[in-house]
Amino acid sequence: MARKQSQQQQATKAADTASSGFSASAAPTPSSAAPMAARAPSPQPPAVKAAKPSKAKEAAKRKQDYGSIGVKDYDIFLLPVSDYQIMLVLTILAAAVRLFRIYQPTSVVFDEVHFGGFASKYIKGKFFMDVHPPLAKLLITLAGWLAGFDGKFDFKEIGKDYLEPGVPYVAMRMFPAICGVLLAPIMFLTLKAAGCRTMTATMGACLIIFENGLLTQARLILLDSPLMVATAFTAMAFTSFTNQHELGPSKAFSATWWFWLVMTGLGLGTTLSIKWVGLFTIAWVGSLTLIQLWVLLGDTKTVTMRIWAKHFMARAFCLIVIPLTFYMAMFAIHFAVLHNPGDGDGFMSSEFQSTLNNKGMKDVAVDVAMGSKVSIRHVNTQGGYLHSHPLMYPTGSKQQQITLYPHKDENNMWLLENQTQPIHHQTGEQINGTAAWNDLPAPAYVKNGDVIRLYHTSTHRRLHSHDVRAPVTEADWQNEVSAYGYDGFDGDANDLFRVEIIKHKSTSAIAKERVRTIQTKFKLVHIMSGCVLFSHKVKLPDWASEQQEVTCARGGTLPNSLWYVEYNEHPMLGEHAEKVNYAKPGFFGKFWELQKVMWKTNAGLVESHAWDSRPPSWPILRRGINFWGRNHLQVYLMGNPIVWWSSTAAVVAYVLFKGIAILRWQRSCSDYSSSTFKRFDYEIGTSVLGWALHYFPFYLMARQLFLHHYFPALYFAVIAFCQLFDFTTARIPGLGIRENPIINKATATSVLILAILVFYLFSPLAYGNQWTKSECKRLKLFDTWDFDCNTFPVNYADYGTMKPSSSKSATQTPQSSSAKAKQPPPPPPPPPAREQGQAQVPLQEAGNERQAAGISGSVPLPDNQKLLKREERVEYRDQDGNVLDPELVKELEGKVEFKTRYETRTRVVDAFGNEIQEPQGGWSKDLDQDQARDPVAPPHPDVEGADSETKRSSKQLIPDDPIPPPVESQEGAREAEVKEPKHASNRNEASMKNEEAAAAEAASGEESQGQAQAQATDHKVAEAAEAFV
Amino acid sequence: MATDRATAVSGADLGDARRRNVPGVDIAATPPAPIVDDKKKLAPKVGFSNTFRSITGSNLTTPFRKAPCMRRRIGHGCHQKSFLQVLDEWEFLIAPIIFTAFAIFTRLFRIGRSPIVTWDEAHFGKFGSHYLKQEFYFDVHPPLGKIMVGLSGLLAGYNGSFEFKSGETYPEELNYTFMRAFNAFFGIVCIPMAYYTARELNFKRPTVWLVTLMVLCENSYTTISRFILLDSMLLCGTVATVFCWSKFHRLQHESFEPEWFFWLFMTGLSIGCVCSVKLVGLFVTALVGLYTVEDLWNKFGNLKMPPTELAGHVAARVVGLIIVPLLVYMFSFALHFAILQNSGPGDAQMSSLFQANLRGTEVGKNSPLELAYGSKVTLKNMGYGGGLLHSHVQTYPEGSNQQQVTCYHHKDANNDWYFYPNRDETPYDAEADPRFIGDGEVIRLIHSSTGRNLHSHDIPAPISKGQKEVSCYGNLTIGDAKDHWKVEVVRDAASRDRSRIRTLTTAFRLRHKALGCYLRAGNTNLPQWGFKQIEVTCTKENKPRDTYTHWNVEAHSNDKLPPGDPGQYKSPFWHDFVHLNVAMMTSNNALVPDPDKQDDLASKWWQWPILHVGLRMCSWDDKIVKYFLLGNPLVYWGSTVSLGVFGLVVVWYLLRWQRGIKELSPKEIDHIHYSGFYPLLGWFLHYIPFVVMARVTYVHHYYPALYFAILTFGFLTDWFLRNKKPIMQYVIFGVLYTIVVGLYALFIPISWGMEGSNREYNYLKWFSTWRITDGEALLG
Repeated sequence: MARKQSQQQQATKAADTASSGFSASAAPTPSSAAPMAARAPSPQPPAVKAAKPSKAKEAAKRKQDYGSIGVKDYDIFLLPVSDYQIMLVLTILAAAVRLFRIYQPTSVVFDEVHFGGFASKYIKGKFFMDVHPPLAKLLITLAGWLAGFDGKFDFKEIGKDYLEPGVPYVAMRMFPAICGVLLAPIMFLTLKAAGCRTMTATMGACLIIFENGLLTQARLILLDSPLMVATAFTAMAFTSFTNQHELGPSKAFSATWWFWLVMTGLGLGTTLSIKWVGLFTIAWVGSLTLIQLWVLLGDTKTVTMRIWAKHFMARAFCLIVIPLTFYMAMFAIHFAVLHNPGDGDGFMSSEFQSTLNNKGMKDVAVDVAMGSKVSIRHVNTQGGYLHSHPLMYPTGSKQQQITLYPHKDENNMWLLENQTQPIHHQTGEQINGTAAWNDLPAPAYVKNGDVIRLYHTSTHRRLHSHDVRAPVTEADWQNEVSAYGYDGFDGDANDLFRVEIIKHKSTSAIAKERVRTIQTKFKLVHIMSGCVLFSHKVKLPDWASEQQEVTCARGGTLPNSLWYVEYNEHPMLGEHAEKVNYAKPGFFGKFWELQKVMWKTNAGLVESHAWDSRPPSWPILRRGINFWGRNHLQVYLMGNPIVWWSSTAAVVAYVLFKGIAILRWQRSCSDYSSSTFKRFDYEIGTSVLGWALHYFPFYLMARQLFLHHYFPALYFAVIAFCQLFDFTTARIPGLGIRENPIINKATATSVLILAILVFYLFSPLAYGNQWTKSECKRLKLFDTWDFDCNTFPVNYADYGTMKPSSSKSATQTPQSSSAKAKQPPPPPPPPPAREQGQAQVPLQEAGNERQAAGISGSVPLPDNQKLLKREERVEYRDQDGNVLDPELVKELEGKVEFKTRYETRTRVVDAFGNEIQEPQGGWSKDLDQDQARDPVAPPHPDVEGADSETKRSSKQLIPDDPIPPPVESQEGAREAEVKEPKHASNRNEASMKNEEAAAAEAASGEESQGQAQAQATDHKVAEAAEAFV
Repeated sequence: MATDRATAVSGADLGDARRRNVPGVDIAATPPAPIVDDKKKLAPKVGFSNTFRSITGSNLTTPFRKAPCMRRRIGHGCHQKSFLQVLDEWEFLIAPIIFTAFAIFTRLFRIGRSPIVTWDEAHFGKFGSHYLKQEFYFDVHPPLGKIMVGLSGLLAGYNGSFEFKSGETYPEELNYTFMRAFNAFFGIVCIPMAYYTARELNFKRPTVWLVTLMVLCENSYTTISRFILLDSMLLCGTVATVFCWSKFHRLQHESFEPEWFFWLFMTGLSIGCVCSVKLVGLFVTALVGLYTVEDLWNKFGNLKMPPTELAGHVAARVVGLIIVPLLVYMFSFALHFAILQNSGPGDAQMSSLFQANLRGTEVGKNSPLELAYGSKVTLKNMGYGGGLLHSHVQTYPEGSNQQQVTCYHHKDANNDWYFYPNRDETPYDAEADPRFIGDGEVIRLIHSSTGRNLHSHDIPAPISKGQKEVSCYGNLTIGDAKDHWKVEVVRDAASRDRSRIRTLTTAFRLRHKALGCYLRAGNTNLPQWGFKQIEVTCTKENKPRDTYTHWNVEAHSNDKLPPGDPGQYKSPFWHDFVHLNVAMMTSNNALVPDPDKQDDLASKWWQWPILHVGLRMCSWDDKIVKYFLLGNPLVYWGSTVSLGVFGLVVVWYLLRWQRGIKELSPKEIDHIHYSGFYPLLGWFLHYIPFVVMARVTYVHHYYPALYFAILTFGFLTDWFLRNKKPIMQYVIFGVLYTIVVGLYALFIPISWGMEGSNREYNYLKWFSTWRITDGEALLG
């Protein structure tokens, strides 16, 4: 209502101004003047270099349609030929600047890690999960595929060499580069479509060409350059469309009008299909379209409701239906290409996964009965199956671990047993043993409320819970779940779980009454303590190979307490028993599920990054991003300060102007009666709105942000700057500037020269060219521009003499490992500073984990436990890692708290007792094969699985080193490492996680001995865990 | 323009005229003169009511008033007042009195029935006890409401000794009935205020009654007012603010008159009070703020208003709506600090100097005044909510893998550090005379229980990757120059002499000698591996005013120095005030629910307007009296629907207006604007923040917003029925009154307490999400 009143005032004022003006012939309709002051008719003819509009025509123009005064047809298809020639020259210039030495750097840069990696996954068709929509990645893949990329290169880390494996990376980089080249002519045309002079448009295009940041992004396999060109294209199409719209009813629904409207829709679809930032572009187009519709609504003379409805439908179709269809079509292609399982499976539901090749499941028997051999899957997380393996918890009860494991495996198999053994129907005797249910007269179905035991078939233990805190989650309402017992053990009361079917989550009527495979979702309530079997997205430490924690929770959320049976077999259910399988989701089901997962993952990227920055720092160009550094060369993403600061200044100038204009308008000053004033306000306002909508939403995002997220906003700011320049030098009358075209040309030229000069100065950072330390330092105007000048040599001649591998920042290159091995050994561990037997109790009171009631059985293993070759020993150490005398320990017992820690390191000793350094890339496969002969557990069906803990053994491992001493921190390799460029989603990107972990392991394997000591816990902790039981 | 608006806004007169046109009022004739006389007599007594205004604005109103009577005189004559006529005249007093009487009954009836500590009484009762015992505590809410609870305890003769454990039975000596009744008073006051607010919004009489009835017969308002909670006070403050605002708005053409000033300051006062009870009060403040901005903006556009007058308007509002509320808010904190003079559970949140001034504290007692090498100290971060510098044997899982350094609020031996000379100087000699430490000196800090040095290096901190990690490394002999920290004194509350570091009073920064960065503890929590303690980093930014880089010595012991009393300097009130407020915000934001825990009490924002869930306020045992927090379904659903309908109505008129259809008079536009749009805005302001908020939310967070939704409902009823036939109005209002009261009566057991087995009340369980009983739902 406030708006309504103000509009009313505005209308009155507009009427006032109109009547006070000398041209009273055209009394405006208040309605058309009201919503946008810019629309009120002007008493002055627009003073642009028009071809003498006749007075009569002008009067006709001033009639009561919705068209805007001071607007001419700027259709970019009707430009003079000279303009096209200039455009062509600009395009060639852009190509020359963008493509110059595009082959360098010759190794993986920044997020090429991801986007290159995705290309290889597309080629192999392996499903992955990424937070960005697929279009740009598909096109990058296409470029690579056309150039013969076979998908074998994995783009694992920054700095990985392209040349030797023969990756056609130049072709892949060409795609973003061409997008980057096209940005310049599009800027030119956009400015022309907005009515700017050719000189201004040329200046705008050149500012884009010589923008270091845009250039850097466009030369690498990244999504930002395609995103930019799509955004720019949308802006161009919509500017052209707006121009057609503003020409009034005569142009409505003409061919040009339709063309640009459809192009806007396609542009929006493309932008959105590259990155979700396209939503901001949609917001920009959408809000301006609403204004257009509002103006149309106010034109009661020429726009009937029927015509208005036509306008509305045309826009709704082109700006909503077309982009959405396009967006979904991209996902259709995405799903079609990715038909094989891959590392993104874990993010998706079982139904989704069953649509991938080889991931589909055979039909299984639907009825679950006592004696069924089942796998039980967690509903809410993609953690997988209820799993156990012959490894013990190092904490709590020290009993056998229960986890969630994402892959199919014999260790996921559980036998459902009734609370009591069945009675033989003929003899009346109790049948003992786990096979007791195999030949009853009728299968005993598992009904709602039945009390069951879950028998782990491969380790002969039963699912068990007791009053011991969960291994990771330190909440008093979560208990540990373990596997307990041995073959022939009858179990105890803590093995009993009651099945509670959640009816509203279960499909089909029968499934609500008794457990049916897949259809029934149930809770498992622990009888003795009332807690419910529960799992959540909490990973267990290395000792359980980072599998997901399973607990027994009192009052956990319902979704996380739900389970269902996926695999089911029972001897009494033969071939012809009723079968069931997952309902395969259709395209829309898959599409919607993927959107939700993308959104969740995107919102979850909150960890801070060494090169991230927050939005306030962007418009002032406070900091860049280190993309790549090697061999005394560096690629650092940084903008051209001239372009950034001038565009920011333009935005600030407009905001100040608008503020004053609003104040004056409220005081009834008649500024808006001038058509130039209105056009200035409206045209620049549109661009600044685009800037604001592409900039301010980032303030609301908690996820990690980078400088390159500002690029779309920068593009709009540059447009605003050019428009501002155009108005001041060529359109605003009375300043004396417009009358002297030389001022326009001279200013534009000087701005350009300045921009090009600055571009040239900073270009070594963009191209990764040779540079010198002194030149670098000279340009480091601010400390926050944190490119590393020390990486450059003192003068260019040094580049010839230096060995490439001696670079400090080249730690991850393979050839540097030899250099590393020569590093001096770490200093001896310091003597303990202070003898104190007391370990700290950090947050909670001394734990009562051990004396907790309800642990059935003691820590030592039952006799028939099948574990081969293990080191079993308990050591007590003080907080400095000194081994304590057992007698001393006895003394201390009760006085201090003992915490179980596993900071041992694993050493491998050869036949002569010498320690072997871990080879690069981890231990070789034959070691694994060795271990495979020790049947701790059956090998996994999917060998590629992220997890191989069940194959490992403790053979050859002597975990007796003390807690690692503090490492000498001076000159540590770690410090060099952290200075290195990191790709944007470093250790965060959804689908990269597994690979990342592997890469981290591999990387640490290469590190110096001191490093290895400090880190020894990072590897093979599974073994260490065993060793200490 | 100006005159235009004058007529537009003089709705007061219009309203008076309209109010007379009420169905149900007999059209018996009345002589005109006595009315005016009566009102003149009444005026001083009922200054707040509209009679006063009808006199000041009598020029316009009198003819209006006379007109009907003149006409009627022909038939019946205006000689005597009939009984109904008197009722009509005095309705503005009689109706609210009756409503208030009902409110007193519904809010107080059997208020002491349940002798156990119910729901958040456990918190607020306990806070009240802290005031009685004068122990310093810490809580996320401002103190005024809890001071009132304390006051009620004082009046009830309670000594503060009860612990208010949830579900416990009150002891004999604790007159909890009185304490609850004290709170219920605030709930009762809401009803007459709602009545007058509706009048001021120019609603017709039946609508005024409807709005009042909806507030009165609102089960959730009833229930929440009957316990020792802050919500009745918050609700009362919100209602009072809206009431004062509406009064003030009606007076806008009598600017700078005494009455205008009175209501301006009353608005400011109620804003101050409501904000001092709960910070939710800021939302109603925002409503008044937006109104004021719009009002001033319109005045700015009024070319006929002299600048001096405009300046006067601005100044009056700055004083009345900014300075007065701030003073009230600060006064409540001054009271808080004045009452709580003993050391208590909330000490650690405050600065060392503040703690030292509490009675019974350890801080600063018998500590040597000046710091020397070899002193054993704890270092307190001076940032808001800062803790003590801490280290423990656990190591960083990443980065350097060295020993963790954190900030920790609780006192333990791992907070102790030794000041040692740096490695370039002669080693510390325990026998020598104490050597004092001053500004600019380079020292080492050695962690007392592990013997390691405070250390930093060029490795990113675990969470704030842009800053450097701080760890503990080496020991007395092993180490390097990266253990060296330069003491830079920022200020000293006690002295200008910077050659000494003084316990408590000296604020200093620690600059890492090798990296040039400053030791900092922002309010970032480490993950579980760091036990959720505060991350300590070394920041390169040299901002001398960043208090998170300021440290002071809290505990200090040194055998060679004489004990002193460094706590004699008081920390300034302003500092304590800001400190406590920031700490409140920080911990309010930290009230993030555990995503894994099923919380049956908590609810989500989308559940409130549709009355999706209620809240069990106590255990559901058959033996105790059970209370269930659930609203009157008609009030909730009706008001929620009205929000959407109002939006549609506005869009409808806007579209038609843009199409050039002028169907609304300026008066009607103003009515929509101030009586319809502002309540809707109030609803948004009270609702949207909870949508955005990450903290755990409960049903009662919706109650202030509900009040605005009720007003919107009233507006819409009023609007749609304004030109309808009287008979239709009778019927519709009759039905609405009946349903509101009927549902209230039906659901009254959940407010007055349910005794016996919960199964007996299964008839109230319409949906399975209304967990009134454990039985099956009636519907769905």
